[in-house]
Amino acid sequence: MPEKSIREMSEWERRHYSLAAHIFHSTVRCCIILGLIATIIGLGLYTYALSSRYVSDSYNLSRNAQAILDKTVDVGPLVDEVMDRYHGLSDEIKADPYSEEYQAVFADITEREDYQTVISVLRDFLDSSDVEYIYLGMYDLEDEVLIYIADPDDTDTACPPGTWESTKRKGVKKFLNWDGSGTLYDIAHTKTYGWLCTSGYPFLDDDGNKKAFVLTDVSLANVRHGMKEFVIQYSLMIVVLTVVVAVLQTRHMKKALVKPINEVAGAAESYLDDRQHGVIKTDHFSNLNIKTGDEIENLSLLLADMEKSLGLYSEQLKTVTAEKERIATELSLATRIQADMLPNIYPAFPDRSEFDIYASMKPAREVGGDFYDYFLIDDDHLGMVMADVSGKGIPAALFMMASKIIIGNNAMLGKSPAEILEYTNSLICANNREEMFVTVWIGILTISSGKIIASNAGHEYPVLMGKDGKFKTIKDSHGFVVGGFEESTYQNYSMQLEPGSKLFLYTDGVPEATNEADEMFGMDRLIKVLNDAVDGSPETVLSKVSDSVTKFVGNSDQFDDLTMLCMEYKGPVSGSEDGSGK
Amino acid sequence: MLDINKKIDGTAMTVAVSGKLDSVTSADFEAAIKESIEPITDLTIDMDGLTYISSAGLRVLLSSQKIMNRQGSMKVVHVNDTVMEILDVTGFADILTIE
Repeated sequence: MPEKSIREMSEWERRHYSLAAHIFHSTVRCCIILGLIATIIGLGLYTYALSSRYVSDSYNLSRNAQAILDKTVDVGPLVDEVMDRYHGLSDEIKADPYSEEYQAVFADITEREDYQTVISVLRDFLDSSDVEYIYLGMYDLEDEVLIYIADPDDTDTACPPGTWESTKRKGVKKFLNWDGSGTLYDIAHTKTYGWLCTSGYPFLDDDGNKKAFVLTDVSLANVRHGMKEFVIQYSLMIVVLTVVVAVLQTRHMKKALVKPINEVAGAAESYLDDRQHGVIKTDHFSNLNIKTGDEIENLSLLLADMEKSLGLYSEQLKTVTAEKERIATELSLATRIQADMLPNIYPAFPDRSEFDIYASMKPAREVGGDFYDYFLIDDDHLGMVMADVSGKGIPAALFMMASKIIIGNNAMLGKSPAEILEYTNSLICANNREEMFVTVWIGILTISSGKIIASNAGHEYPVLMGKDGKFKTIKDSHGFVVGGFEESTYQNYSMQLEPGSKLFLYTDGVPEATNEADEMFGMDRLIKVLNDAVDGSPETVLSKVSDSVTKFVGNSDQFDDLTMLCMEYKGPVSGSEDGSGK
Repeated sequence: MLDINKKIDGTAMTVAVSGKLDSVTSADFEAAIKESIEPITDLTIDMDGLTYISSAGLRVLLSSQKIMNRQGSMKVVHVNDTVMEILDVTGFADILTIE
């Protein structure tokens, strides 16, 4: 596996991965292996044929010579004379056939007429053929020797009559026991002549016993020489053939295989380039016109299909992404609009020193269902609202907007909290197919007296810090949630604030904030944090609670909207206690 | 995080919920009730093992109560303290039949 991608490679590096080179190498390998096998088989056949020819030629020569001799002269007496003298030799003399004593025993044989006739016939044969030697001889099985009777050779390798030459027993038996069928020959390695093929044809006496043989020696050096030449010629031919086949095969494969594959690869490269530059609709594969009628054509067609469906998919993805972006943009706009619907400029009432108020909302999603509100109904009356719509997200946010406007508008008409809730409830119930509801706490503070008239529609208990400087939950009486039942009724109740009192309002997101261990923040922790921040301004109180909740929740997701309001009553401005009021 | 176990016996149905009934799991709770509520005249919500109920869960209780007001009766059983507190605060304790 290459470490870097093929696209990062130079031309030179790519060559290592060239299919043409693979094909060339494998073709050469195949040709060489085939050539070697062919050479070995050819050499075997060649050697066999050549040897057979030599054997049969020399055998025929022996046979012809025997036939001519048989007609010309009766070799019987000559053979008998030589053999008798040989057998009459003492072991001492027999040991060295080239000693003077040995030669002397047979010296007069050469003067015999029949001997000279035999020599003359054999010499004619020797001169007219290309055999090494042709001679008359007889085997002796006991001594394992060949005894020369007449040898026309007149060079220094000449063997005078009576001389012997040791011969392997196997060869001797083969000749003496020959039954007259096939070709009589024996191939043996001799020290003097190297590989030698001896073939012969026997003279038989009247009883059919072998009397002597006309023997022909052919040196197989010629065969070996022929083999060498054969190998050289054959190898040369195979090398030439290999080169030609490899070149032709490579050229063919380049056209049939490499070129179409490179076309596909080129299309893939252009495709990737286009994709990197953001071009979605491409037709690199569709434009390929590969007509190889095999897997490559199939591959190019499949890639064209893939390109097409990827193009379509990318287009769809683009549309979906655009849609998602549009929704995200709209949601972030909605978040801002929702945040702007709630009073969020501080100090909220810079010209009022009788009270200080601070509130915050942190939705779990882009938009939330919680809301707070505060507003001056007239100079002496401050309205405060804390509400929580069932559910979350966009449906809750839409419902929250409507609820906030209805409650705010009704409050401005000077109604009591219970009246406001009843009116809002009947308005919402009249058209609430989704069965959404909202929990509301609403209170109206008479600034000059510090008295709050409040009503609770299924909302969390308010927390009040009174005279003793401790925050405590006010277990006020509850009505049912707004939007639940048309006939719901609500009660007003009152609380008396002293200068320095603080009122803390919140939604269930605060006590029900959950940490990773699945524990809830809870009212006890909330009261403790509030009491730790008892001297702080409303803004400080809220940031302390918010920090504490964030720390508690840790890495787990913010599960619910987090909405809080804190109002500190500082007491009436001196001299204006009865200056304003309803 | 919410196990819903529904048993229907003729026109009586008991839906047992345990775990947390929040804005995610309430959708399953609502579907479980709504798909079989039509012939029911006697609906029991068994809250044994329910540790928390959010406003989305309350909404399902409210709409079920409204349906059962028209065609029969509904009661809620095995309510633990935490859930009871939520039902009290939201006023649901007053409109539901809790046993």
